[in-house]
Amino acid sequence: MLKESLISEFQKIVGKDNVLTAPEALKAYSYDGTTSWVHEPDIVVFPTTTDEVSRIMKLANAEKIPVTPRGGGTNVSGGSVPWHGGIVMAMTKFNQILKIDKENLTATVEPGVVLQDLTLRLAKEGLFFPPDPQSFLGATMGGIISENAGGPAGVKYGVTKQYVLGVEVVLPSGEVIHLGGRTLKNVVGYDLLHIFISSEGTLGVITKAELKLNPLPQARKTLCVVYDDVSIAGEGVFRVLENGVIPCKIEMVDNWVINRIEEMMPIGLPKDADACLFFEVDGIPEVVEKEAQKIAEITKQYGAKEARIAPNMDEANKYWLARRAGFAAVFGKAKQVFAEDVTVPRGNIPKFVKKIRELAKKYDVEIVVLGHAGDGNLHPAVLTDPANKEHYERALKAVDEIIESAAVEFGGVLSGEHGIGLEKQKFMRKVTEPAVINMMKGIKALIDPNNIMNPGKIWE
Amino acid sequence: MKCGFCSFFCPVYQEEKMETSVARGKNYLVKQVLAGKQEFTPEMADIIGKCLLCKRCAANCPAKTQIDRVVVAARAQMVKEKGLGAIKNFAFRKVMANRKAFGKYARLMQKFQWMMPTTEGKIKHLPDFVKGLGKRNFPSLSKTFLRDQIKPVYKPQNGEKPKMRVGFFMGCATDFVYPELGLKLIDFLTRHGVEVVVPEDQNCCGAAIYFSGDVETGRMLADLNIKAYKDLNVDYIVTACGTCSSTLKDYQKYLPDTEEQKQRYEEFEKKIKDSTEFVIDILKIPPQDFKLRKEFEGKTVTWHDPCHLVRYQNIKDQPRAILKALKGIKYVEMPNADMCCGMGGSFSVYHYDLTKKIAGKKMDGIKATGADIVVTACPGCMINLIDNVLLNKMPQKVHHFLELVE
Repeated sequence: MLKESLISEFQKIVGKDNVLTAPEALKAYSYDGTTSWVHEPDIVVFPTTTDEVSRIMKLANAEKIPVTPRGGGTNVSGGSVPWHGGIVMAMTKFNQILKIDKENLTATVEPGVVLQDLTLRLAKEGLFFPPDPQSFLGATMGGIISENAGGPAGVKYGVTKQYVLGVEVVLPSGEVIHLGGRTLKNVVGYDLLHIFISSEGTLGVITKAELKLNPLPQARKTLCVVYDDVSIAGEGVFRVLENGVIPCKIEMVDNWVINRIEEMMPIGLPKDADACLFFEVDGIPEVVEKEAQKIAEITKQYGAKEARIAPNMDEANKYWLARRAGFAAVFGKAKQVFAEDVTVPRGNIPKFVKKIRELAKKYDVEIVVLGHAGDGNLHPAVLTDPANKEHYERALKAVDEIIESAAVEFGGVLSGEHGIGLEKQKFMRKVTEPAVINMMKGIKALIDPNNIMNPGKIWE
Repeated sequence: MKCGFCSFFCPVYQEEKMETSVARGKNYLVKQVLAGKQEFTPEMADIIGKCLLCKRCAANCPAKTQIDRVVVAARAQMVKEKGLGAIKNFAFRKVMANRKAFGKYARLMQKFQWMMPTTEGKIKHLPDFVKGLGKRNFPSLSKTFLRDQIKPVYKPQNGEKPKMRVGFFMGCATDFVYPELGLKLIDFLTRHGVEVVVPEDQNCCGAAIYFSGDVETGRMLADLNIKAYKDLNVDYIVTACGTCSSTLKDYQKYLPDTEEQKQRYEEFEKKIKDSTEFVIDILKIPPQDFKLRKEFEGKTVTWHDPCHLVRYQNIKDQPRAILKALKGIKYVEMPNADMCCGMGGSFSVYHYDLTKKIAGKKMDGIKATGADIVVTACPGCMINLIDNVLLNKMPQKVHHFLELVE
């Protein structure tokens, strides 16, 4: 509980309507995109300017009140959950697109801008922001940068950090700093910009960002490639790339997911297929046409049973809708799902998928694979039910082993795009060198000596 | 998984940008109530009340959460625990639930409405001191209600044996505000060889009542309406009001307490048709056979999807087919045509400022089409669209699709 006098101080800064303290409202700011971790804040404030953020931070720092910045609350690792209570700084009303610069292919945005709103606005100018976290309907730019989010398009375009040129940040002290700039090249001292990108709100509050944009591709083409063996599908991924085609998306669904999709919305995926890969290529119409044909040839040459180029947008949209529905299907079919975010180097996908299948057998649990095969970010999901204690224990062991095998045996990382937050702390400690964790702690102590920024996350 | 995609689709969240506005927040809080960790406090009543029931969240939910049912159930539980409150109790149970009384009060209001300044389009602007109470602009009531000018039976105009027998359901807005719509529908049906019967003892459909949580009165109205048509031997029951048709169809979804009720409501649902689907799907009139009324020739028109048609009944293609095929007008699709107009029944009375903001976005969509006429098929939307067209000083007229055709 905060003192009455402090609440009125916050009200003075942002206005009465922009401060919430009712118990019902605090409950509504106690979770993120999972509700796996729940903790209520003591107060929710909605700043709409950098100056307001700065004044809030000064007050919080003086009183040593924890501050957890929160955008759309779509994150899935506990990042925006106010684990130590205090202030939730809700950025959703701080949401103007300040500038779209066609000459320099940049956009200047406030942190509360929702990615889909930005995408729709940019499309009118013939531009786009390539990183595509699949939470784009609710995710805000501040959160996307803080989590260094990515999505299916990572295979061709990379992730958020490649598209942030500069940020304005309010430090815990209330000081406003500017990192990076508006240019593509920038080697002025340490690259501090990238310490804030993916810092999960533990260092400061991003109040403005300069984004790098691309021209919107003129054409797209989608393929659905069918496999009898999921490992061969895994091989298909790097065979296409090494043969000179870089699709913008390569997504994988396994037999279990295919069958759930067909139950929910029959679109004619082969139910006996062990896996399907969905490819999308984008660019100049003539090139896209050629690339689609080339993918069909290469995948068939390397063991695909069938490669179908969607003849029109309707069919293409059907495949992508199915891919998205697959995610909902997984979560709808089990009481609890551990949706892992491990990522392996692409060449190891076949071996890793084999390993997942072995683990499913070993622990007698359902493990499904649907993910961004194109960048090795496979999202194996373990289905279980906490009420069935014995099953739950086995599921947990399977999760542990998936993560360790990915990160150690196959040279990958334990999180590709979700971040550590609360969910992966235990694995973070296991697979990260102590010196590295100490360095992170040192940086944190330097920038946030009172440990008020989103405490309880990452290495704790 | 609590993905929060609903935030993108929720008209209330888009204005307020607060977690308590959106389906995810409401759902979480209702779950807290079920777990015994949250009471139905006044704050809770406000949060659960601030929903248009437009169903955009539910229609776009990857997990297919039926948030509309969560909201209605929570409101019902609140009514059960805390009662309706004096105003709603009087309005729902003493007035709206009793057809004769509703007529009497409406007539009384009609007599006094001269005190309020009228603008065009049948919208009464309340004096500012009344607006101060948070009340919206109201439509002006018709001089003669539909019930006072309607006959019990209408034979086909060609004098031949009727090809089917249809019960007409008028609904309150058509009865009191737009009686000409009812007459128009009857004229259209009898012209196409249909016999129309109009039972005198039909009632309010109950939308405002049961969506506010008063399921008890809702059930009573359902039973009265079912009884009114029971012995008339009609093939279908048709209405010109999108909210009424969806409400009558959905008795089986929101109201049953017993298996017997469920079956009875499901039987009733099978007979209900909205005017838009009836003319296309049942009468099977080819879209190109509709004839435009002279006064609309040369106009550009656009279609507004009422929530109760597009999401509650999945009716979106039929009206578009008619408008696209009508010779003499140009059809332009509106951006976000399926976005709620902001009316939400009593929502607009309690949250008129929000209604105006939400309608403002609808107005932007309308402006972008360059249309002269906004066509829709729900008198509720018509009231709100007309109000906001006027508030925004726009030139567009709003019409029911029945008004466009001969």
